[in-house]
Amino acid sequence: MEELIRTALEVADGPGIVHADVRVVAPERFVSLAVRNGAASALTDARTEALGVRVRTGRAWGFATTCDLRPGPVREVARLAVRLAEAAGRHAREPLRVTEDPAPRAGRYDTRLRRDPFAAPFDSLLTLLTSAEKALHVAREVRSGIATFQAWEENKWYGSSDGASFTSRIVHVGAGLTATAVRGSNVQRRSAPSSHGGDFSQAGLEFVEGLDLEARAPEIGREVVELLDAPVCPTGPTTLVLGSGQLALQVHESVGHAVELDRIFGSEAGFAGTSWVAPEKIGVLRYGSDAMNIVADATEPGGLGTFGWDDEGVPAQRTPIVHRGVLVGTLSSRESAAQLGLHHSGGTARASGGDRAPLVRMTNVNLEPGEFSLEELLEGVNEGVYLESNRSWSIDDRRLNFQFGTEFGRRIVRGELGELIRNPIYSGMTPTFWGSMDAVGNRSTRHLWGLPNCGKGQPIQGARVSHGAPVARFRNVAVRGG
Amino acid sequence: MARRPATRGRPVDLRALLDELPAGTTGDVRVVTSALTTIRFANGRIHQPHLERSTHVSVRVAEGKRLATATGSDASREGLSALSAAARSLARIAPTEKKFPGFAAPRGRGPGPLAFSRATAELSPEDATQIAVEILDTAAAQAPGARVAGAVTVGMDELRVGNSSGLDRSTKRSLAHASVLVQRPDRDPPVSGWSEGAHWDAARLGPAELGREAAERMARTTPAPVEPGAYPVVLRGPAVADLLRFLAHLGFAANGEVEGWSCLSRRRGKKVAPSTVSLSDDPRSRDTIPQAIDYEGTWTARTPLIDHGVAGPVVTDLLSAGRLGRKLTGHAQPPEAPWGDYGPLPSNLILEPGSASEAELVRDTRRGLLVTRFHYVRVVDPGRGVITGMTRDGTYVIENGEVVGPARNLRFTESVLTALGGVTLLGKERRAYSDGGGVVTTPSLATRSFRFTSATLF
Repeated sequence: MEELIRTALEVADGPGIVHADVRVVAPERFVSLAVRNGAASALTDARTEALGVRVRTGRAWGFATTCDLRPGPVREVARLAVRLAEAAGRHAREPLRVTEDPAPRAGRYDTRLRRDPFAAPFDSLLTLLTSAEKALHVAREVRSGIATFQAWEENKWYGSSDGASFTSRIVHVGAGLTATAVRGSNVQRRSAPSSHGGDFSQAGLEFVEGLDLEARAPEIGREVVELLDAPVCPTGPTTLVLGSGQLALQVHESVGHAVELDRIFGSEAGFAGTSWVAPEKIGVLRYGSDAMNIVADATEPGGLGTFGWDDEGVPAQRTPIVHRGVLVGTLSSRESAAQLGLHHSGGTARASGGDRAPLVRMTNVNLEPGEFSLEELLEGVNEGVYLESNRSWSIDDRRLNFQFGTEFGRRIVRGELGELIRNPIYSGMTPTFWGSMDAVGNRSTRHLWGLPNCGKGQPIQGARVSHGAPVARFRNVAVRGG
Repeated sequence: MARRPATRGRPVDLRALLDELPAGTTGDVRVVTSALTTIRFANGRIHQPHLERSTHVSVRVAEGKRLATATGSDASREGLSALSAAARSLARIAPTEKKFPGFAAPRGRGPGPLAFSRATAELSPEDATQIAVEILDTAAAQAPGARVAGAVTVGMDELRVGNSSGLDRSTKRSLAHASVLVQRPDRDPPVSGWSEGAHWDAARLGPAELGREAAERMARTTPAPVEPGAYPVVLRGPAVADLLRFLAHLGFAANGEVEGWSCLSRRRGKKVAPSTVSLSDDPRSRDTIPQAIDYEGTWTARTPLIDHGVAGPVVTDLLSAGRLGRKLTGHAQPPEAPWGDYGPLPSNLILEPGSASEAELVRDTRRGLLVTRFHYVRVVDPGRGVITGMTRDGTYVIENGEVVGPARNLRFTESVLTALGGVTLLGKERRAYSDGGGVVTTPSLATRSFRFTSATLF
């Protein structure tokens, strides 16, 4: 691979080119096992290879990629990357600036795991999924049961014209259950340990075994049937206690994306959108209450956003984003950091594979725990709702107006969890909502959730990210039944 | 590294691979090759040019009725054999799919030549860049001081499918799509306008027109807040396209029917919209980006979905046709994950036009809202077809049959069936819109009642 990288860098070293970097991801492996209603659903073993060449002139980038790792096609895409950058540069009025960051020399990063998911046959996993899926069907109303396992292995080689190089092997795994119950047009869904495919981690099979899917399945089946008969969530402003998994998605949508510096500067305006955060407000903007502390931590063990170096060769970092409710940092690349006048990148430029160019992405964006147990949070609620496990999610293109539905909710009455409610929806405005957070759960309520499907960019890239989230309490939130 | 055999890059020998499957094992193979260039621009400059030459191979095998798939990027003989072995290894441990009907033998005649533009397929990086520049320059000239962003994608892809029942077919598409946002983030609140379009022939994309249209759709005055509530609306093409995509997922994908959660499960054969509403999936039409086969090699054909207001059946692939006991309609998606929730999908939707101009749609609406597009649309309740999303990039107030000024953006939470059931008028101009996956060809429309549940600050 080093030879291929050298070949590409030599071709991309023409006049006017000030920087080139090459990533080879080979092999990238993805295994998906799914059992749906007793049958195999899309059992897949994917093994791909890709090489991407990124070049920079004084005014523009160019990126080209191939899955054919022979020297000829590699030289061809290196030439094409140069042509793209030259063509784009002819229409640029301003010079392109990037930060200078320390570059690794022959760095190496490996996922620490105990049981490699790719080192053993999948028989026992499929048996586990089959059995767990079967256990979801506790009543005839359960019309759909799904048990899934997914694992990714990414072997990466990186080299750049300034002499940086590193290699890495990163392994992500995860699994989950989903049951759907139907009665007429009343459709209820319940998932474990979370929706969107379950929970995911940078780890080995030991993580999947710890999810204990088979033991959880009957309870999930019972809950989804109970939801069919549950009263619809009441409507009105009330106190909301969010479970850790739903809060992780809230962080993702209303903080994570909003603090991506490329969005803030308008680079994603034509697709994903921009941000309500103005560049000049970084450091002074009141994002939420004093109880709100957010960090982007690409060094946390087990995170899907944990790595040695990002896809620009910048070391993984732990960056404060919100401190005591004030926005103090952002997610950034070398280009966007330079645009803000910073000297160094935040090291969060990530590509979904060798066939995509790096973009500013989330790493592990975490809400820091507070000091309350769940019981203490509930004690402070005379009347309210407890919601968990995401069912629908939507937010505007500046990350202000959001609406989330959850699979599951319970009334809170005089500090105690009460009856089950169905189709709960809550909505709000980002700064108002975070400003209403008056209590955050302690470390015992915190979990690092893996989200494997964050979409951004054109062509689209799916990133795997994590969010550490405790439970938390919010006052005066608009809640209703859908 | 090991050198690839010299066969790589040449026509793939699917037959040899399928012939060497052991007795009792059957299979199908898909090879997708693509050459696509995407030029993204923002803040008035091209910031992310991207060129991709890719090959995607997927080998599905059935050990009896145990199915599994392996995918990769190496279409050489050696690569295909490795994928076949990986798929067989997984299939041996898979649960049995009792209703799997087996891989289909080649039947029926294919369509004649479909619309394809060699010039579009062979556009150079410089040509693609020039299209983006034309959009940028036109939009900037129409809206001085505005920030312009968007993307152009041009190129081609080819799908070839073979199976152990003797099928070997291919289809080739040329494609071009572009989108443009014209924005004044310096205004309080910020304002923006949008345009987009897709075509199989880049020469008919009309980049200057797209740039001009986006600029015209940007508000010149300050948007006013509008109270959430139910309003009559005029939905421009991009907004209608979103509704139809979700209708396809929630109403016409086979898994929803198999599992009972489709919003049309109990309404097939019944009137769900006025007689003026006819929606079909027509992958051969020149009005979409045509393709001759689906991902199982079945010939595509026009499939009525809503015929003069009456809801039709779901679309199928091999597995769902077996499970439902229905005929195969040729709507298979790639068999590999992640295609979990919905199963086979219509992805070349065409809504028949009416005869109204945009001015007539507005005039007929009297008092309501004009919506250019939606953002971040998601399912709230699949059984009732309820979805939610935001308006974006050009929302206007209609009073007394006239557009009187821009509105701040609103969140809608509404059933696609209510929106479609309330259609009062259809526009006469149609355009194709691509989200990178499927294509929706649709006019604008007016509908009687559309529920907005909250508002945002801009």
